[in-house]
Amino acid sequence: MGKTIRKNLFALNLFLAFAVVVCITPQAFAGGKVYKMGLSLAITGPTSDAGNPYSKGVEDYFNYVNDTKLLGDDKIECMIRDDQYQTAVTKRNFEDFLDQGIVFYLNYSTGSTLGLKRDFEEVQIPVLPASFHAGNVEDSHYIFLPIASYSEQVVSLSEYVVNNHKGDKPKVAMFIHPSAFGRGPVGDVEKSIAAGLNMEIVEVVEHGKDLDNTAMLQRLMSKNVQYVICQTIQSPVATMIKDAARLGISANAFGESGKITFLGAHYTGGNDLIDLAGDASENFFWITSYTITSEPGPGTDFQLSLAKKYGRDDKAANSHNYANGIMVAQVATEVVRRAKEKGLDISKKTLHDELNAMNGDNAYQPPTTVGPVTYSSTDRAGVDSLQIYAVKEGVFRKVGEPITSQYMKKIK
Amino acid sequence: MASNRWLATGNFFTTYQEEQRTFTTRLDQLIFSIFLLTLFIWPLLFELSRTYMLVVDNILIAVVAVLGLNLVTGFAGLISIGHAAFVGVGAYTVASCSRMIGDSHIIITHLWPVMIIAGGLAGAVMGAIVGLPALRLKHLYLAIATLSFQMIFEWTINFMAFFNQGQTIFVGRVMWLTGEVGRSDHYVFWYYVILIVIVMCGFGVRNLFKTRYGRALVAVRDNDRAADAMGMHPGLTKVYAFALSGFLAGVAGALHAYLYRGAGIESFTLHHSISYLAMAIVGGLGTLNGSFWGPAAIQFLDLQVENVAELAGHYMPSNMNLATALRPLTFGLVIVLFLMFEPRGIANWWRIVKSYTKTWPFRY
Repeated sequence: MGKTIRKNLFALNLFLAFAVVVCITPQAFAGGKVYKMGLSLAITGPTSDAGNPYSKGVEDYFNYVNDTKLLGDDKIECMIRDDQYQTAVTKRNFEDFLDQGIVFYLNYSTGSTLGLKRDFEEVQIPVLPASFHAGNVEDSHYIFLPIASYSEQVVSLSEYVVNNHKGDKPKVAMFIHPSAFGRGPVGDVEKSIAAGLNMEIVEVVEHGKDLDNTAMLQRLMSKNVQYVICQTIQSPVATMIKDAARLGISANAFGESGKITFLGAHYTGGNDLIDLAGDASENFFWITSYTITSEPGPGTDFQLSLAKKYGRDDKAANSHNYANGIMVAQVATEVVRRAKEKGLDISKKTLHDELNAMNGDNAYQPPTTVGPVTYSSTDRAGVDSLQIYAVKEGVFRKVGEPITSQYMKKIK
Repeated sequence: MASNRWLATGNFFTTYQEEQRTFTTRLDQLIFSIFLLTLFIWPLLFELSRTYMLVVDNILIAVVAVLGLNLVTGFAGLISIGHAAFVGVGAYTVASCSRMIGDSHIIITHLWPVMIIAGGLAGAVMGAIVGLPALRLKHLYLAIATLSFQMIFEWTINFMAFFNQGQTIFVGRVMWLTGEVGRSDHYVFWYYVILIVIVMCGFGVRNLFKTRYGRALVAVRDNDRAADAMGMHPGLTKVYAFALSGFLAGVAGALHAYLYRGAGIESFTLHHSISYLAMAIVGGLGTLNGSFWGPAAIQFLDLQVENVAELAGHYMPSNMNLATALRPLTFGLVIVLFLMFEPRGIANWWRIVKSYTKTWPFRY
């Protein structure tokens, strides 16, 4: 009797052990490694109109990487947290990500990138922010800008104005956000002028939350301003160009005499500007390093297919901020892929090294940008090429070929 | 007074001194001591993640700030809608020194207790200056004066190069007996520092109301003409209330600068002033323990709403930015509900619980 019970117990134990092995083995062998990353951004609150599609771009691309096994059995787990555009919340999110062992960090705003710069240095973690503020990379070894800085964008627009203006020295006003994000490029444009860029800055306007810019625009007209270069977000630009259209002072073609041509850097443009300003956005010149869906190509096809695959609405699918999110996720994935290919352990250090080695023949060409991504220990701006677009019949169209700033090299 | 100092079931005070005791019974004292001891030893027993430690530290800093706000608004009856600016003055006192002498200068890293007091004093000076209109203004007019200070403060920080135009000014890591306080110990270290500050401020405020200076605040709030007739100077009392409030706010700001290792304008905006006011209202205006309940409740609520908003933001279509509205909506709703149904705040619930347990198991 005792022997029978023992035999039965032995058989039961054997069965249980077998069941445990059967259950665990597939996961143990097929699971691969999981690389953790973090993204903190404004999904709600100020600038969430940009942050929301950006987060979806990041989320969808990492899902795509995992679903299509771009990294084999290994997966990327990217935790995405809302920070409501508040540095204090970003810091909390960042600490949370660190607790969970991230190897790569994606940040968002200028304020939080500058505010957490010391933390990034201490933790030695590579960071790709959505902010292209040139000050982000000063005194930093770990922050990499995805594309050319705001300064480079605004200086490139200034160069475009100088190269295409007919007549005397062009008179330019700058319309900027009242923060480091807006003010940063002004100094670089002034340096470019000192270095020989033939234009005159007549006025620098720091906008508030005005709902009417009539007085400001009339003042600029009285000073014979022909161009307004904007470095801010879409809504104040939309208000201004609508007022300009109402006053009948918007140029119908670039540099039209007696009228004002409006131009803007990355965060001033995109489909959101057209939605906000309507017909008044016609002939607005916009610079960015991203491909956009109104100019179809392999990059935009991929963007739209990704959005369709993960059920995004048209607004998100066609947003340049969605492309922006995809692009940073692509860069993060690429450095993991390269480190894996070399048989290296995936860590903060190896990914940082891979970013620094992303130049020359190792430059990375994501389909969502107009030029290759290059980084080194001295070059922290990813895509150096910039494409100018202008609104024609309600959509942004390419103006010429991608350009790079000449004066930024001179003033560096 | 009841012969049994452990279990008093009613008020049996026979002298003013008895009435002014910090703890009515020994049991109260014992419970408070155990509670305090628990606050000091729990981080040694349970390791909390840095994230949660940061949340706890934030609540504690808000407690210091709301203690100050409660002094001026709750006890002295002067509405202040610029409290975050006073907190900012303290933070920018530390940050400005850091900018002038270097963020790793010995004054910043070694003499940080002095810097915290300096932050408080700067807040007190600003409080006294902003309080000057209280000599002539009352009610909503005074509220507007404090609001204008908030605006001036934000404008000054945002536009002056010295303050880095509102961007973060870094503050170095501090030194302790064991050397530099590193990343791993940072939040726990500041937890203890802030806790000690709270205990000191809490007892300070509690004892203040045993003195004529504290009672003058309440007297001026209740009827400044009567207070005047009783020999108090209502104007000076109001200015001094603002100065005292500014001191506590400044201390909170200095602690904030050290905790976040820097100061940036976005932590001291009008939105934060309203938050502090909400904390004081929800906690219970004119009560000491309300200053503890309010920050804890509002920050906890904020975290929960934040999670819901984030979730909604992930799943709602891009053109329906409803998630953004969720936070201010909840926030406003809580304040309105408290003002309507429990204007005495959570502190009143605490009073009810205490009075119930005091007579337990008897009903009356």
